Amino acid sequence: MATETDQEARASAIGQLRTDQSTGERVLLWVDDHLKWLMTLPAVLILFSLTFYPLLRALQISTLQYLPTGTTFVGIENYANLLDSEAFLNSLVVTAKFVGVSVGIEFILGFSIALLLNRKLKLRGLWQTLILIPMILSPTVIGLIWRLMYAPNGLLDYIAAPFTGGANVGWISETGTALYSVILTDIWQWTPFVVLVLFAGLQSVPDDIREAAIMDGASTRQRFLDITLPYLKSLIVLVLIIRLVDALRVFAKVYVLTRGGPSSATNVISMQMYRTAFRFNNFGEASAMAVSLLVLVMVLAMSFMKIANVEFGS
Amino acid sequence: MTTEQDTPADTLPYKQPSRTEEWFETLSKYGVTKAIVYGLLGVFLVWTLFPIYWLVTATLKTRQTLLSFPPQWIPLDAQFGNFARLFAERPEFLTYIINSTLVTVVTTVLATTIGAMAAYAFVSFDYPYNLDFHLPFYILSTRFMPPIVTIIPLFVIFRNLGLVNTLQGLILVYTMFNIPFAVWMMKGFFEEVPESLVESAMIDGHTHIGAFFKIVLPLVKPGLVASAIFTTIITWNELLFAVILALNDNAITVPVGLASFVTKFSVQWINMSVAATIALAPVLVFAFVARQQLVRGFSMGAVGK
Repeated sequence: MATETDQEARASAIGQLRTDQSTGERVLLWVDDHLKWLMTLPAVLILFSLTFYPLLRALQISTLQYLPTGTTFVGIENYANLLDSEAFLNSLVVTAKFVGVSVGIEFILGFSIALLLNRKLKLRGLWQTLILIPMILSPTVIGLIWRLMYAPNGLLDYIAAPFTGGANVGWISETGTALYSVILTDIWQWTPFVVLVLFAGLQSVPDDIREAAIMDGASTRQRFLDITLPYLKSLIVLVLIIRLVDALRVFAKVYVLTRGGPSSATNVISMQMYRTAFRFNNFGEASAMAVSLLVLVMVLAMSFMKIANVEFGS
Repeated sequence: MTTEQDTPADTLPYKQPSRTEEWFETLSKYGVTKAIVYGLLGVFLVWTLFPIYWLVTATLKTRQTLLSFPPQWIPLDAQFGNFARLFAERPEFLTYIINSTLVTVVTTVLATTIGAMAAYAFVSFDYPYNLDFHLPFYILSTRFMPPIVTIIPLFVIFRNLGLVNTLQGLILVYTMFNIPFAVWMMKGFFEEVPESLVESAMIDGHTHIGAFFKIVLPLVKPGLVASAIFTTIITWNELLFAVILALNDNAITVPVGLASFVTKFSVQWINMSVAATIALAPVLVFAFVARQQLVRGFSMGAVGK
């Protein structure tokens, strides 16, 4: 390759200029000659050994049964068991509800707010900084904050008192409300993300296109459908994919708020996996879940990109 | 600019505005819509910030005033002793803070350095089989993988290597976690450094690796700072891997310690609030330093610089 020979030529040129090469210099020149591999090696090595290799091990572990005496190979039995496992199927339903409702509301709410704010307003830097805060907080801290608000006799019980007649709602302790309380917490944390990204996208719609459309007599709604939406298409898809993938793996929030309970009302996939592996020591079945989850995420992300292409046209 | 003649009214691509739209136009002329927008922005800000205010003020309340009807909106009779009491009743929390700080600092240095080196190499070298194009995509794709997928094998591997319950184990995992982001962040910055700069430095007698550290890296300092802050926040906040890989005080980090205030049977409300406030303070400081880059980071480079 051209650049490689260039570099070798240059490196040896430096070497030739100096006859009094020290060992240190020779090492540096050797480093320079192999720089393109040396610089990528640590990153590739770490990612390979800590993501790719464990992935293969997950596949392998998913075919094993863990017994106190050791492991035995059971083939696809763990996968077959999953289909019969009520707890696992329930966790799929819970996860689907969680992801669908929270990402749906976050997107609609966030996009509306971004559209609303997309005009000449003062203090833009300030509000952008302030709404950034929930996104960067630890999901653990967020879980605790909301635990405090959902507590019996807590703030939300007080706010809801006119509707409940003063009785405690049991936000996270009742099967009927627990999942929606976790969803509300997620919406609180991630709506600002949708706002920030889509607002930045809206701001980058070129003024001249919009002005030309106004000149042509396009109404606000027409401008939105024919200019804004196509212009934001890829950003919208990106936001939805990021949120979808992140929501699918929700763990800390659930762990802190409800630990998957009451009974299994908030038992999302990652919680079910955690329980199976580290409470019941069933590593095989938990790995089978993990592999299924990975396939699910990949299929979802890919089909989503495909749908997005078809719908908006490329 | 088109003239009247070029576009007669009946060939306009769009129909004339409807009455509702005219009505909106009139409203906005008198600043009504603007007032409404400011009002709604205010509501959104209160909704977003109030829960944090509620946590921080909880640190100054007593067990009785914390969950009272009606709530105490402003902590009167502030209990500053709550902070000292946390460390008196739960001295191990100090250990968790030290553990978290060590893990975060080392991870940040490692992930930023390793990520920056890889990003630079992908930008400035040609690799066989188009690897300089494919490898960054492979690296980025690991960010989409649910971390829980690899956690069981990692636990098994780490148990065999004796890395469970060690800070080194956590550092390894978190470095792996943060490299993809650092690579993608830094790639954008390195692409803007002119190639001629490195070439002239090498003609001046610098080695390539020397030019990288002495000339290129100082130029991309904003990117390094942003990667470092992003890594710091992610690492400081992480719970899932810590819950599984850190089982005793040798390695327990702040998030795991926080979660332990909440058990199935009771919650130590005041201690919990104080500890959570301590955990969120550094993150807030960093957020204000690097707000622009954070949005970029969360949107995986799609927004702003």
